[in-house]
Amino acid sequence: MTANDPPMTPGAGVPNDAPIISVRNIWKFFGNLPALQDVSLDVRAGERLVLIGPSGSGKSTFLRAINRLEEVDRGQILVKGQNIMSRENNINLIRRDLGMVFQQFNLFPHKTVLQNVSMAPLKLLKLSRDEAEDRALALLKKVGISDKANVYPAMLSGGQQQRVAIARALAMQPSIMLFDEPTSALDPEMVGEVLDVMVNLAEEGMTMLCVTHEMGFARTVADRLIFMADGQIVESGQPEALFTAPRHPRLKQFLNQIL
Amino acid sequence: MPEPDENHSKGNIVLVTDGASIPDPREWRLINAWSISLAGAICVLAGLFLFSPDPYERIVRYLPDGMLVTFKITIMSICFAVPLGLLTGLGRISRNRGINLIASTYVEIIRGIPLLVQLFYIYYALSRFVTVSGTTSAVIAISICYGAYMGEVFRAGISAIPKGQTEAARSLGFSRVQTMFLVVLPQAWRTILPPVGNECIAMLKDTALVSIMAVPDIMQRARSFVGTTYLYFETYTVVALVYLIITLLLSKAVSIMESRLNYYDGK
Repeated sequence: MTANDPPMTPGAGVPNDAPIISVRNIWKFFGNLPALQDVSLDVRAGERLVLIGPSGSGKSTFLRAINRLEEVDRGQILVKGQNIMSRENNINLIRRDLGMVFQQFNLFPHKTVLQNVSMAPLKLLKLSRDEAEDRALALLKKVGISDKANVYPAMLSGGQQQRVAIARALAMQPSIMLFDEPTSALDPEMVGEVLDVMVNLAEEGMTMLCVTHEMGFARTVADRLIFMADGQIVESGQPEALFTAPRHPRLKQFLNQIL
Repeated sequence: MPEPDENHSKGNIVLVTDGASIPDPREWRLINAWSISLAGAICVLAGLFLFSPDPYERIVRYLPDGMLVTFKITIMSICFAVPLGLLTGLGRISRNRGINLIASTYVEIIRGIPLLVQLFYIYYALSRFVTVSGTTSAVIAISICYGAYMGEVFRAGISAIPKGQTEAARSLGFSRVQTMFLVVLPQAWRTILPPVGNECIAMLKDTALVSIMAVPDIMQRARSFVGTTYLYFETYTVVALVYLIITLLLSKAVSIMESRLNYYDGK
């Protein structure tokens, strides 16, 4: 890091040629087991990436490494040019720019829906209560759940909870959204409502990295499809190309199993 | 040197025990262990008072001063023990090796020494260096002792909150400390409250130990009453009933608070 690097501001643009996320040769071990082996990847602003692969292939670990929920053992991750492992960069500020949606929603059960969404802008961005709640309500409207603003998460269905979780992540106005199997814990009839929200987000130009098993979503939304196996990126490219003409035997095998 | 208490050779074998059991807030039946105990204690006390005013009326009139002292020591000890317990609990889950070691060692040492010994140690043994009043040494000893026990309660309560809550907060940009105080502790408080309430009630009972150091609590008042009247049976019956009624009422209060904390469960 040099002193010339621009300060991190949420939503600030980067030059089109520079990747917004740059992952370089990262390794992650759980005990002796390598979960990520020398993975590198560049993501440009506005790109929509979908990560697929068998369970245990390291795709969730990879996603979680990008906002340092998992600390990698080797390699480098740059978000908007900032090394997220460096002590000079405040990870809490970098994370503001990386919204994350979890498989298990992880809404705060002791807060109402509105409080869940307005909490981060209120406490971290120091918005006034009115401003934070206005922002939260607008987001809740966007995900189609503004009528539930004042109930507690336990009163909501899984699909509704996940939509609130997306709104909560958006409340910090991040420039990148990370989705970690957002529909895997949902009953089948609720998958659609969550995917709709994600498709809308993609259409607005949000930079998205999404780990999912929803191949329909991958096919329609992804600019690039990443197939991981054994902690490595085995194949990547246009989703159509990967689905119709997989080259790697692991991908062929995987597609045979799920399609 | 503190004045030696002429009573302190008698009846001082009391150990730290578990508190009263907290009634289940979902218990709706009129007849249960709690209501039977409370009604029984009140009836016996009222009966003794009505049918045998002498000496019971005298005893009952003699004790309230002591009750105030008991409450005073309990409340002061709670005020120190709960924050100390929180600090200890946070220390025990700290990633900082030094802090973790300090907290763990504190818990290990305190749990290995009976409260009575700790009381004597602060009141008598340390009087070689500093002289502290009976009440002060009681509050110090009880706070330090219960701080260690509550530390374990806080540690367990905090550890019980799913990791996903911390991850969600951290992913939004909250710092470790903000995550603890805004997200984890408010939820952990619900699991922590019943055992902490329990410890507070146990604490109230353990304040009976301070009578040994001539602190005029319920027990000490009873002992001085016995000292002049020799009414052992009558006096200690009343004392037992008074402690029982207080702890039963307090355990109910904890139970009500606990059910209030369930507001966000929904459905």
